[in-house]
This record gives sequence, C-alpha cells and structure tokens, in this order.
Amino acid sequence: MSLVALSELLGAPVRGATGAVLGRVREIAIAPQDHPTRIAYLIVRTADGERVLPSAVLKSCGSTVRTADDGSAWEKYSASDGVLLLKRDLLDQQIIDVHGRKVVRVNDVELDSTPVNSHVVLSVVAVDVGARGAIRRLTKGIVPSFTLRTLLARIPPRVIPWAYVDLLETDPARRVKLKIVYEGLSKLHPADIANIVEDLPHAEREAVFETLDEEVAAEALEELDPKVQVSIVESLDSDRAADIVEEMDPDAAADLLGELPEGRSGEILNEMEPEERQEVAQLLEFGEHTAAGRMTTEFVAVGDHGIVDDAIEALRQFEGSREAVATVYLYNVAFKIVGAVPLVKLAISPATTPLSQLAEPAVTCTADTPDDDVAALFDKYNLVTLAVLDEHERLAGIITADDVITMLRHRR
Amino acid sequence: MLSRLKHWRARLLLLLAVIGPGFITANVDNDAGGIFTYSQAGAQFGYSLLWTMIPITIALIVVQEMASRLGAVTGKGLSDLIREEFGFRLTFIVMVTLIVTNFGNVVAEFAGIASSLELFGLSRYVVVPVAAFAVWLLVVRGTYASIEKIFLTASAFYVTYIIAGLIAHPDWKAAAFATVTRPEAAGIRNYGYIYMVIALVGTTIAPWMQFYLQASIVEKGITARQYAASRWDVILGCVFTDVVAWFIIVACAATLYANGHHDIGSAADAAQALRPLAGEYAYLLFAAGLFNASLFAASILPISTAYAVCEGLGFESGLDKKFREAPVFYWLYTVIIVLGAAVLLVPGLPLVYVSVLSQVANGIVLPLVLVFMLMLTNDRELMGTYTNSRRFNAIAWTTVVVMVLLTVLMLVTHR
Repeated sequence: MSLVALSELLGAPVRGATGAVLGRVREIAIAPQDHPTRIAYLIVRTADGERVLPSAVLKSCGSTVRTADDGSAWEKYSASDGVLLLKRDLLDQQIIDVHGRKVVRVNDVELDSTPVNSHVVLSVVAVDVGARGAIRRLTKGIVPSFTLRTLLARIPPRVIPWAYVDLLETDPARRVKLKIVYEGLSKLHPADIANIVEDLPHAEREAVFETLDEEVAAEALEELDPKVQVSIVESLDSDRAADIVEEMDPDAAADLLGELPEGRSGEILNEMEPEERQEVAQLLEFGEHTAAGRMTTEFVAVGDHGIVDDAIEALRQFEGSREAVATVYLYNVAFKIVGAVPLVKLAISPATTPLSQLAEPAVTCTADTPDDDVAALFDKYNLVTLAVLDEHERLAGIITADDVITMLRHRR
Repeated sequence: MLSRLKHWRARLLLLLAVIGPGFITANVDNDAGGIFTYSQAGAQFGYSLLWTMIPITIALIVVQEMASRLGAVTGKGLSDLIREEFGFRLTFIVMVTLIVTNFGNVVAEFAGIASSLELFGLSRYVVVPVAAFAVWLLVVRGTYASIEKIFLTASAFYVTYIIAGLIAHPDWKAAAFATVTRPEAAGIRNYGYIYMVIALVGTTIAPWMQFYLQASIVEKGITARQYAASRWDVILGCVFTDVVAWFIIVACAATLYANGHHDIGSAADAAQALRPLAGEYAYLLFAAGLFNASLFAASILPISTAYAVCEGLGFESGLDKKFREAPVFYWLYTVIIVLGAAVLLVPGLPLVYVSVLSQVANGIVLPLVLVFMLMLTNDRELMGTYTNSRRFNAIAWTTVVVMVLLTVLMLVTHR
C-alpha cells in the first residue's frame, strides 16, 4: 500500500495500456451507497470531453495514473447527486473533526492505493489539515515533485482519520444520498456539540440540527448561547422544532420560546405533545426574570410519611434532568412542602429509615421572587436546588444551581 | 398625542436598532489614514477633488452592500468564501496582499496616535509603545467589546468638521459646483493629482473594511431574512462617512488651501482646519478626535486581519482559544501590532506622508478584492436569488476598471 495526496492526483496525466496519455484527472468520486471509503471512479478530462474512469481498471496511482485499458469503453460523465466529489465537496471545505471536537478546513485528502490482484484499490484514509497539505498545494507545479516530496516528508503531518470526519452538507436530499448522519458528532458531549455548532455558518448549523437525534439536539441546544438558539429554531420548520423543544428541560424550553416572535412560538407550541405543551405554556406566562421564569417543573417530591425506599423508587421513575434530583422534597396531606432530603442522605441511610427523620427545613421562595433574590438565597444557604412555591404553598417547581450560574454569567 | 409619542419612540428605536455593523465600519473608516488623506486633498487641491465624493459614495454603498449581503446569505466570512470557491493558492495570494496593505494601515493608525499626542508635547517614542501594548491587551482581554460604544460616541468628533466647515465661510457655490462638475481633463497628466484620487478611493473603500464588515454581519448572526434592515445600516453608514469626508476637504480647502498652505507636513498643520471653530484650541480638538479615531481603528485592524487570514488559510482562530490552541492567530496579531508600532520609531519618519501612502496602497489593492467579491456575489449556486443586480455589477466593475486604469496612469506619470 502507498499513500497518495488528492492534490497530486488532480491534474495528473492518465496513461493507457500502451502508455499513451488519455487525459488528465479532474475529479475523484466516492459513491457512499456502495462503499463508504472506496473510490468509485475518476473523472478524466480527455480530448473527447469528460469521461468516467472506473476504479476497477486502475493499475497504479501517483503522479501518473495508469489504467489497464485504452479508455475507449469509458462512459461520458454526467453530474450525479449521489456521489461525493473529493475536490468539490471536500478540498478547502470545512468539516467536523469528531476526535478533536472542532471545525477544521481541509487542506488535502490522503488516499491509499493497495494492489489487489491485477488492479489497485484506491480509498480515502484521512484528511490533511496541517502545513504539509498547505505547502504541497502552494508549491505544486512550481517546485519539482521529487524535491517537494523530500521537503514535505520533514513536516510533521496533521491528519484526521476518515472515521473521525463528519461532512457538512446543507442540502437534506443530498445528505440522505451521501449517508451523512453526524454519527460521530452525536456521540460527543452536548457542550462539545454546542461549541462546534457555534463555529458553523447558519445553513450548516441548521443542517446539523435537522439531522441529529432529537434528544441530543435538545441537549446541545440548551448549551448554546440564547441568540444562537433562537436563530437555529427560527430556521427549522415548526414540526422539527417542536420535536426538539419537547425534549428540552421545560424551563429552558420556556426561555427559548419566550425569545421567539409570538406567532412562531405559538406554532411550535401547537405542534408539541399536550403534556409538554402545558408545562412550557405555564412557565411562559411568568416573567422571565423571576423565580417562576427560571424554574423547571420537573422535580422529585414524595409524601412526608414515606421511607427512604419510597424516595429511591420515585428517583427511579423520574425522567427529568440530572440536576433536579439533588434534593427530594416532602409534602404533607395538604400537599404543602414540609421538608427536603438531600440525595446524599438517601444514599447513606438504610432503606427503611422514615424520611421525616432525614428531612431538613426546605428553603423556598415565591413564584415572583426576582433573579437577584434567587441568587442571594443560593449564596446564603449554599443551595443546590431551591423550591418555588405557589400561592397554596405547594411546590410549583424548582430552580437548580446550574440555572443560577447561567443567569449570573449572562448578566455580564 | 400619546400615540404620536409612541410612534416617534418606535421610530427612534428602529433607527438605533439599525445602527449596526455598517455604521460602525463606516466610522472606523474615518481613521487616521482617512483624516490625513481628506485633509491633504483639501489643502493641496482646494475644492477641485470634491467631484470624487459622489462617485466614491455610490461605489462605497455598492461594495459595502455586497459584503454585507455575502455575509448574511452565506453566514461565512469573505476569506472563507474565497478559500472555498477559489482554492488554496489564490487565497494565499490574497491573504499575503491583505497582510501587507493592512499592515500599512496599522502603521497609519499608530502614526495618528503618535502625531495626535505630539500636539500635547508627548514623545512618540514613549506614546507608541504604550499605545501598542494597550491595544494588544484591550483586545486580548476582551475589554474591547465594552468600550466599543465609547469609541463610537467619541466619533461624534467628526461633527466638529462639519461645524468648522460651516464657520470657515467657504465659497459654498464653488464647493457645491466642484462636487457636481466633471473633473478637468488636465488632471490625468498630473501625478500628484492621480496619487491623491487613488488615496481618496483607497481610504474610503478600503479592502480591509470588506473583510471586517462581512465578518461583523456573520458574527451578529444576521441572515438573509433579516437583511433588509442591515441594508439601511450600510447606506446610512456610507453616507455619513462621505458627508464627513466632504466637510473635511471643504474645511481644509477654506482654511489651508485658501491661505496658500498647500502641504500638510504634520498634525499641527492639519489641525489648523479647525481654527475657525475652536480658535487657539483647534489643536486640542483635533488631537482628541484624531487620537480616538486612530485608537478605535488600531483596535480593530490587527485583530480583523488575524481573523481573516487564519480563517482563509485554515488556522485555528478566536479570542476564546488559548495561545497554545491558536498560535498562528495570536502571533500574527501580535507581530502586526509590534512591527506596526516599531515602524513609528524610525527617526524622522514623515507621519502624514506615510499615512497617505498606506491609503494609496489600499486603492491599488482594492480591484483585486473587488473582483473576488464580484465573482462570489454573482455565483448563483452560492447566493441563490440574492445575486447582484445588473446595475450593481456595472458600478462595481466600473470601479475595478477605473482603479486599475488610475494605477497604470499613476505609474506612467511618475517621474
């Protein structure tokens, strides 16, 4: 096997079985439907127009491309949506480096040619994003290729293996044909996804959010700057936006919808499942800069006569965010909040301990408490969660510490 | 009554909302290079270069509109687009050219800082290193964003030129007439005259502004749908810039040129134009304004150059990255500032001359950048329905041809 760079292949003369030059390489194509990395064909510019050189007749690939035939059987090239053209779609374009968790620009593409039986198999192995590819592109045709090779060999390569490359494609139909599903991206931490998305142009952002799994998309969306959130959701159709918003924390969803133009947030609400819609709509009615505007309605509360096991069971059933389970709230027969049990205490107590023995007084506030006072409460009592009570002293929702940190940071 | 009040408030808010990237770019455009070039044009040629103002304004609006439309539609910076559409080698050439011309502009900004503070008797050997370090820190620490508004507000200084122009009792009829008449044909044989025309175009339609404006539009997240409002921001900014430019020329023509003072050797000379307004204190006013304008542009130019170059060539960039993560970005930024400031330490450097020269370089490079912008804005695959109109193409291509011709003429007439 040997490595050859895309920029070396482009423009390289193609010689037939007799040694005669048949044309020059113009493009290199992968058909992802057939094989994800293997080159399907080369497009060769010949005296008789652009022709398709099937990879099965390739004999060698380097600064000269040799074929086993004489080119008479090559078909005329006609543009096709379903193939990835390495020069047009990859060279100089931005891609997501899944391993390095960032957006990078492709300087060159590395291909591997391995002899199999009588021909060579050409496949993509990596994209070059470092100085080596850049200098090769810059000096090609100016410096003799032999000198260039020895020079380039001294530069440490910066390549991303093909398996860690996620392509960016804004056309949904083409995404399907090229099998672009952002598999690598969706496995990253939502905060990393958000970081990557912030580096992308808006059409590409939209493409990512159209394709990602709803749950992953929702978590990533929450991590984004509010302004970016709004622009992404505005660009999605209401149906898709609703699917994602449903998966978000209700408080984050309410904040987001509150920032959207009224007509638009109404459309999205309409598309949502009734249960989620109700929760979010409720939160939307409160002022954004009050406790109610900050709180989430997903929390864990159990009766005050229960035992530790009851609380653990409630935690098992709970589907809300991880931050919300830090405290289990206790209510009495009238559903008034009478105490709070930190998660730690549950973890270290025997399963049959009555919860009332573990309870601490719950720190609470009313729905209209302003942001500043909420932050002050967290500071004063070193809280992880704060209970927000309605007019009947029932638990309306809770505010978690991460929300307060976000709120304080955004204020600067 | 109440409804009318509300109506007015809504209008005012709309206007304030419109003040965005276009207006800011336009203000930065009246930097040290700009002030010196317009002053010199008025002092050297009186009213006779005023005819350039209307064509320049039209070209400026067209070019700036193209840059902001490119940004809004594609969500990408100008150097990104050049890279994606024209490949590595051409991008490299454009980027090297951009670094060289922008470097000239940075030198001009430091010249502005040096000469404004020299009016207060401060030595440039102290002022320039301190200013360079301050600018470097300001941007790297991220404090720039919070003081941008201070710079913008202080830009109100330009209004003093309008007032000075009014008080100087210029020959309004002659000035107005000179603005709308065709230039005299004799000008094309005069090297100094062509040099100044190129400088005027170069300072008003600077190549770096297009990169900066497009980047700001992208940064602000303006998309094709919200684009209509931005267009007004751009037009307003361009008109404001050129009204100020017109008054600087007129003020200098009415004071310096009229008194036979045809060459501006230093900031002290240029400050004389404000004498009708501020009398003995003219130099104070001028120094404060020039200092603000220079520092404003000096905070923007090096960093916007570093962004454009790194994005085009594919290096990590961004102030949110650590030095280790984006070494090229930080080094480029630092070197532009340090070397730009170092040039000022050359003893006896003619500050005004160097500033105007950097604007001539802008004018020479402009067609190169414009050709790329034109090809991009006419690319249907890229722009969809937002491609250039025929009229826009005509204006922009004319600008390209005229600038190339002027450059050739300048070289031919040079002896």
